Amino acid sequence: MRKKRISAANIILACFVFTILLPVAVLLLWTVTERWAWPDLFPQVLSMRAYEGVFRKRGMLSGLFLSSIMISSVVAALSAAIGTMTARALVLYEFRGKGLVHFLSVLPFMVPATVFAMGIQITFIKMGLNNTVAGVTVSHLICSLPYAVRLMMDGTAAIGDRLEEQARVLGASAVQAFVCVTLPVLVPVLLSAFSMSYIVSFSQYFLTLLIGGGQVRTFTVVMVPYLQSGERNIACVYSVIFLGVTLEVFGVFEKIADRWSRNLDTEFYA
Amino acid sequence: MKKRVVVFLMTAVMALGLAACGNSGQKEETAGEKQDSKEQGSTQGGADIEGMTFDELKESAKGSTVTFYGWGGDELLNQWLDDVFAPAMKEEYDITMERVPMDIDQVLSQLSGEIQAGEEDGSIDMIWINGENFQSAKENNMLYGPFVEKLPNFEEYIDTESEDVTLDFAYPIEGYEAPYGKAQMVMIADTAVTPDLPKNTDELMEFAKNNKGKVTYPALPDFTGSVFVRNIIYEICGYEQFLDMEADKETVKEAIEPALAYLRELNPYLWNEGKTFPESSTTVDNMFADGELVLNMTYDAFGTSIKIADGMYTETTQSFQFDKGTIGNTNFMAIAANSGNKAGAMVAINEMMSPEIQADRYDTMKVLPVVDYGKLSDAQKEAFDKVDLGKGNIPQDELLSKRLPEMPAELVPVIEEIWLEEVVGK
Repeated sequence: MRKKRISAANIILACFVFTILLPVAVLLLWTVTERWAWPDLFPQVLSMRAYEGVFRKRGMLSGLFLSSIMISSVVAALSAAIGTMTARALVLYEFRGKGLVHFLSVLPFMVPATVFAMGIQITFIKMGLNNTVAGVTVSHLICSLPYAVRLMMDGTAAIGDRLEEQARVLGASAVQAFVCVTLPVLVPVLLSAFSMSYIVSFSQYFLTLLIGGGQVRTFTVVMVPYLQSGERNIACVYSVIFLGVTLEVFGVFEKIADRWSRNLDTEFYA
Repeated sequence: MKKRVVVFLMTAVMALGLAACGNSGQKEETAGEKQDSKEQGSTQGGADIEGMTFDELKESAKGSTVTFYGWGGDELLNQWLDDVFAPAMKEEYDITMERVPMDIDQVLSQLSGEIQAGEEDGSIDMIWINGENFQSAKENNMLYGPFVEKLPNFEEYIDTESEDVTLDFAYPIEGYEAPYGKAQMVMIADTAVTPDLPKNTDELMEFAKNNKGKVTYPALPDFTGSVFVRNIIYEICGYEQFLDMEADKETVKEAIEPALAYLRELNPYLWNEGKTFPESSTTVDNMFADGELVLNMTYDAFGTSIKIADGMYTETTQSFQFDKGTIGNTNFMAIAANSGNKAGAMVAINEMMSPEIQADRYDTMKVLPVVDYGKLSDAQKEAFDKVDLGKGNIPQDELLSKRLPEMPAELVPVIEEIWLEEVVGK
C-alpha cells in the first residue's frame, strides 16, 4: 500500500518535472534558432547571433544584474522581516481590528496590478519618490508583502508559541526566546517568504518602469522589450540568463539558510 | 534537497511567466510624474538658447549627457546607437548619449507628468516620435521648438520643402521635429511558395483564395495592420479625398465603405476565417517565418535583406508593392519642452542628420535616408551608392516612385475604430 502511494507521487512529480524541463529545453534550442518553419522537427537555420549580441553587452548587463539583485534582495529582506512581525501579530496576539489588518495585508493581491501601479505612481510623485531606487524598492515591497505575510502566517501558526513559553519559563528573555528558539525553527518558511518576495520584485516590469521612469533600470526592464519585439532568439537568451541567475541566487539563499539553521535537518514543508 | 531544487526551478519558470505577462498592462497608463534626480551638466533656461548660434550650442553642450527616449525592441538599432552613434558623439562633441528604451505612450505620460509638476530640468531630452503622438504632444505644448532651422545639417542636406519633412501624417511640423529615417509599407512573400505576387486588390483576393487560411494582417491598432488597411482603402477609394477629410466618423465611414466591403469579402479566406487577427505585427512576422502564413507586411522597407542574411527568411523571400504604390512616412526626433539639455539634444539631432551618419544607418540597418541626394557632394553620394541593399528588396528608386502620403493623423484612430466594428468577424 505504502509502496504504491510513493510510486504514484513519483509519477506526478515526474510529470511536473517534465512540464518544466520540456519548455526549458525548447527555450534553449530557440536561443540558437533563426528559422524553424513548419513541418520540420528541428530548426533549419541555426546561428549564434543572439548570444553574440548579448555577449557584446556583458559590461552593461553585469552592472544591471548587480543593481537588480541588490534591489530585489533588499526588498526580500525587508519583506521577510515585516512579514514575520505581521504574522506574529496576527497569529499570536488578540487586538481590536485584527480582522481588518488581516484583510488589508492581502489587499494588494486583489487590486489589479495596473490600477494599483497608477495609484502608487500618483502618491509617489507627491512624496517625491518617483525615479529613485528607494521609490522602486518601496513599490516592490508593497507587491511582495502579501506573499510574505501569508507564508509567514502559516509557519507561525504551525509553530505556535508553546516552545517560546517553555523558554521563558526556563528564564530566557523575550528576545532570547524568539531569536534562539522560534527563529531557527522558522528558517525554512523564512526562506520561502524571502524567495517569493525576491522573485516578485525581480520580475516586476510595469511597476519598475512607471515608478523608475526609465532612470532606475532592472534586468526585467531591459528584457521585456525583446520579448515584445518578436526576436525570439534574443528573447530566449535573455530568458535563459534570467532563469540561470535566479537559480544561482536561490542557491546562495539556500546555503545561507542552511548555515543559519545548521542543527535542523528536517524540512519544514517538504 | 532534490525536491527543493525542483521547487526552485518551478518558481523560477513561474517568475519568467510573471515577467512576460506583466507587460500586457503597459499600454494603459496615467499621466503625472515628477522628476527629482537629474545629473545633467548644463541647466540653461530656454531663453538663452534661443539666441545662441550653433557653435555656441556646441560649446555649451560639451561634457553633458543627452537622454534619447524611444522604442527599444530593435536589437540592430540599439546596437548601432550604442556602438556607433554614442562613441561618435563622445569623440566629436564630448557628449554622452544615454539610450532609454521605452514605448512612446510611456514616454509621453512621463513627460506630461513632469511638465504638470513644473519640473524645468526634465529627464527626457530627445524623443523618437511621429504621427498622432507628435500631434498630441505638440498641441499640449510638450515639445520644444521650433528648433530645426538652427541646425546646419538640416539646412544643408535636407530637402526642407518636401512634404516628407514639412508634414507628419499631414500635420504641419513647423520646426518641432527633425527627420530621423523614412519608412514605407511593403509586403513580403516567399517566391518559392507563392510565385505570383499580388499587384492589386483583385489579385490579393485571388491570392487569399489560393492560400486559404494562410493570409492575415495584424489586428488594428497595430501600426502595421493599420497601414495595411489604409493601403487597401487607398487602392479601392483613391487617396486624394482623404488628405483634407474631416475626422468625422460618419463621413469617413461613408468614404471607405467600398474598402470595408472588400475586407469583409476577404475575411472567409483569412487565417482563422477572419474571426480573429494576430495581435501584433511581430506575431505576424514570426508566423510568416514559421511558414504558418504566406504573406507578411512591414513598415521596414529594406528589412527583408537583413532577415534573409540572418537566416530568418529563406533566400527566395521577396518584398513587393501594389502597382498603385504603398504608404510611406517619416519618423522624427523631437526635444522635450522641459529638457534639461536642449543644446546637447540639438547637437545630437544635427549629427543624426549628417550624410555620414545617414549613410551608415543606410548601410547597417537599411533605413531609408532622409538626406536629399541632390544636395550631397560626390564623395557623399558615393557612400550611399556603394551600399548593397542585399537580396529580396525593391530598388530604392522604384520604391520611392510608388510612395503614397499618409492620411491626416486624426483619421487614423477613426478608421481603426470603424474596422473593429465593421470588419472583424463580419
